[in-house]
Amino acid sequence: MDFGILSVIIFLPMFVAFSLLLLPVSSKITRNIAFMTAIVILLLAGMVYYNFELTGYMQFREHHSWISSYGINYSLGIDGLSLIILMLIATLIPCAYLWLWDGRTKGYWVSMLLIQTGITGTLFSQDLILFYFFWEAMLLPVFMIIGMFGTGNRVFSTIKITVYTIMGSLFMLICILYLGVAFFYEFGSWSFALNDLIQITTLSRAEQIWLFAGFMLAFAIKIPLFPFHTWLLETYSNSPTGGVFLLSSIMAKLGVYGIVRFVMPLFPELYKEFAPYFVWIGIFGLLYFGIAALMQINIKKMFAYSSASHLGFIVTGIFSLNAYGMTGAAYLIIAHAMATGGLFLLIGKLEYDLGIKSILALGGIAKKAPLFTVFFAIMLLCIVGLPGTNGFVSEFLIILGTFGFSQSAGIVSALTVLVAASFMFWLFQRAILQDNGNDVSQMKDLNLREVLGMLPLIFLIIGMGVYPDWFFYKIEPTIQHYLIDILEIRT
Amino acid sequence: MQTPDITYLLPLFFVGVGAILLMILSTFKNINIKKGAIASLVFLTLAIVSNIYNLNTLGDIYSVYPFSDVFNNMIVVDTYASYFSTILILGGILTILIGLHYFQRRKEFTVEFFSLLLFSVFGMMLLVHANELITAFIALEIASISLYIMIGFEKVIDKRIEASYKYLVLGSLAGVFFLLGSSFIYGATGTTSIGEIGIFVSNNIDSNMSLIILGGTMILITFLFKIAAFPFQNWAIDVYDGASLPVTAFMAATFKAAVFGFILRLVLVDFDLIRDFWDDMFVYIIIFTLAYGSFLAIIQKSLKRMLVSSSIVHTGYLLIAFVSIGVIGENAASSIIFYLVAYFLSALGAFGLIAYISSEDQLRITYDDFRGFSHIRPYMAAMLSVFMLSLAGIPSTIGFIGKFYIFTGAIESGNEILAIVGITATFVSVYYYFKLIAVMYFYRSPEMTDVPPLKGIAPLVIAVIALMIIWGGIGNTLIAYFPGVDFLIDMAKLSYKSLFIL
Repeated sequence: MDFGILSVIIFLPMFVAFSLLLLPVSSKITRNIAFMTAIVILLLAGMVYYNFELTGYMQFREHHSWISSYGINYSLGIDGLSLIILMLIATLIPCAYLWLWDGRTKGYWVSMLLIQTGITGTLFSQDLILFYFFWEAMLLPVFMIIGMFGTGNRVFSTIKITVYTIMGSLFMLICILYLGVAFFYEFGSWSFALNDLIQITTLSRAEQIWLFAGFMLAFAIKIPLFPFHTWLLETYSNSPTGGVFLLSSIMAKLGVYGIVRFVMPLFPELYKEFAPYFVWIGIFGLLYFGIAALMQINIKKMFAYSSASHLGFIVTGIFSLNAYGMTGAAYLIIAHAMATGGLFLLIGKLEYDLGIKSILALGGIAKKAPLFTVFFAIMLLCIVGLPGTNGFVSEFLIILGTFGFSQSAGIVSALTVLVAASFMFWLFQRAILQDNGNDVSQMKDLNLREVLGMLPLIFLIIGMGVYPDWFFYKIEPTIQHYLIDILEIRT
Repeated sequence: MQTPDITYLLPLFFVGVGAILLMILSTFKNINIKKGAIASLVFLTLAIVSNIYNLNTLGDIYSVYPFSDVFNNMIVVDTYASYFSTILILGGILTILIGLHYFQRRKEFTVEFFSLLLFSVFGMMLLVHANELITAFIALEIASISLYIMIGFEKVIDKRIEASYKYLVLGSLAGVFFLLGSSFIYGATGTTSIGEIGIFVSNNIDSNMSLIILGGTMILITFLFKIAAFPFQNWAIDVYDGASLPVTAFMAATFKAAVFGFILRLVLVDFDLIRDFWDDMFVYIIIFTLAYGSFLAIIQKSLKRMLVSSSIVHTGYLLIAFVSIGVIGENAASSIIFYLVAYFLSALGAFGLIAYISSEDQLRITYDDFRGFSHIRPYMAAMLSVFMLSLAGIPSTIGFIGKFYIFTGAIESGNEILAIVGITATFVSVYYYFKLIAVMYFYRSPEMTDVPPLKGIAPLVIAVIALMIIWGGIGNTLIAYFPGVDFLIDMAKLSYKSLFIL
């Protein structure tokens, strides 16, 4: 059987993980091999990026029969949106590994590798059952990593996130099956391929609304969109650094990805019809989570809410129904992953060195760790949207898109960005710059390895902020394809 | 070439003769447990080989009545029955292999136990081969009575005796309904042969069917009792919990399959035209079975009782496919068969592994006893997790594919409500299955003693089952000629077709 590059990207980490699990190797060797695997994946992803053609259609397709009696196939492919998320994953994970370098056990690395398989599998699947397969399977290593290496009331938060997410995905499963059956009754053969299911014409409006709701529920829980965010706080604050890094910077984005990849083409009419609601839910989330973040004194919880707040903004972008908003959302997916991911890694270090989570107990870090402070500041400014960072470009585009959608929404979204600025600067001033007389003598500055891990992120944040066109051209045809061919909107 | 009739009956013959021979052998002093186990394994292996030989050589689908002049078409050998027999014999083999360590550790187990186990397998096989109501009743009783004794075999433990007695009384009561139903049907149609009842029904569909429906309802009551569906589920927890773990594993894995095997044949062949009558009733039964089973499973502290309660939930899933038969006969029937295989593997693995773990003592019973288990026995914990994931229906296990078939079938036949109820039960089940995984992995280990090491035949067999579960969830034809997911469902479809060969 010939397997393409996408399959290798998906299954290499899994293969490595299980080999490491079975072989009696030390955690150090496990880490080194895991890191090398991540580098190999980065190279492979680079090859995909280089060979990616500038069209809006699926490329690098792979197709094998899986469960033939129900027409379920192992079917992969990527378009511009998947490509940028793939690049994001491939770049972020090795950087994160450099940060997680010391003091992790074997199970930690194995879980990280398995999560990577789940994420990339979800990203490439073109068959809904295959998608569901990876979507659920991804949860298991997340379950393990939080439960085994988390802090606080980790067992409870593990069960909570698992039950929560599985609830969403099980209802999505019912919707997928319903679509498959509808396809069978209309065309007389079984298929769960996305390209086949979008041809269904027999669904009544009521059926479509229910199915739309089922899919949106699963993705809204994953993102998390208001009001399905109640798992967020505990999970983020009790997760180990690696887990929270993956959750916030990558897995949350898969919810957004799912909406664009599946909900949009399957229900284009409803997508357009309900777009205003979701634009407002997104803006409300931005505001609500922003204010919630303002109230936190636990640094991890603050960033958990800040992350959710920006994800609300991304959702606003993808529902704005124009090229600015969508491109901005795609851009913010990357910008936010870099900045939030980076911040969670930095906080992980802070917690590791000082054992403190509360902002009030910190202060005067800048003197002890100047490099740390510089990097922290850059990430923070990216989140706030300072010109020169990619955060600015993306937020600017989304606000522009929201204005195109409706003037009032545009004004509100532009104003709410201020909320992020207020809590971020307060945090930075209080915890990092100001000397409060708290004992932070245990804090060490970044070593060379950590600097190396952070540099690619910094480079991309500034590079993408200064020359956005370098990065836009690969995704633009895809966005045009979504808008013109799927949603049938003239831009 | 004409195949001699005896070839068809060889699987039944080997198991039956084996049971009787073991009964005789058990009177000899120098036959110990191990020799008895080997002897019974030999007979079961012969049976399964001849059974697979039948499946392989008699063509894609077949249906014959061996010695029809002697047995008067009471026994049918078709692809359907052979498929089920394979499951049942495999259940017997795996139970012996997994339980051997346990049996050797307990003084009360003697060679007669294997004789009873073979009798039970024989009864169940006869049940799926039965083409006549009274034969089916006798087969059911052979299987049940052997089980009553097997449950109470460790007679020094009160719990066993209680379970055995409870099951005896209630099971006999349920059996009476079967007989009453059969006599009603005989009164209405003048026959007890399954094929002929079906012909009678289709010829007289316009006349009054109430007596047949009444008889059918009685038989269905027995059926619902034996598979522990609502409202006949209360015995299950006490009985399964009271039995020793290998016996529980055996019952949970095989008995449900055998009973479904018979009732599917009866319903598909005979009641196909009047089945609508029961559909509404079944919808309520399913909803209550799922809800009550889930409720029971959540509140259990003992792992064994949780698994048993969850087996009630699995009965509910199976019944969802059972009501879908009306619209999509082939898909629904094959999804039941597939799900039975999936549940068979997962339950046998889970119960078997727990049996093995607690074979040295009886200490590991509740969730809390498994705290930090993964740090002591990482491989066993991993296998137990696989079984839990499969029972919960998480992708990459065979349990997911089974649920996929059942829910697709439910939606296809227009029972969206049942699909949603089923999905909700699945969602609840995540809680009680994942709790075990959480307990095993997320706690540091307290002092834990006397866990048998990972060696010997039982862990090996359990590991093979775990691999089969994973292969059943992801396997396809990547490895040429190696059966994957498609193979099982295709076989199930073939066996469904073989029911209708005249």
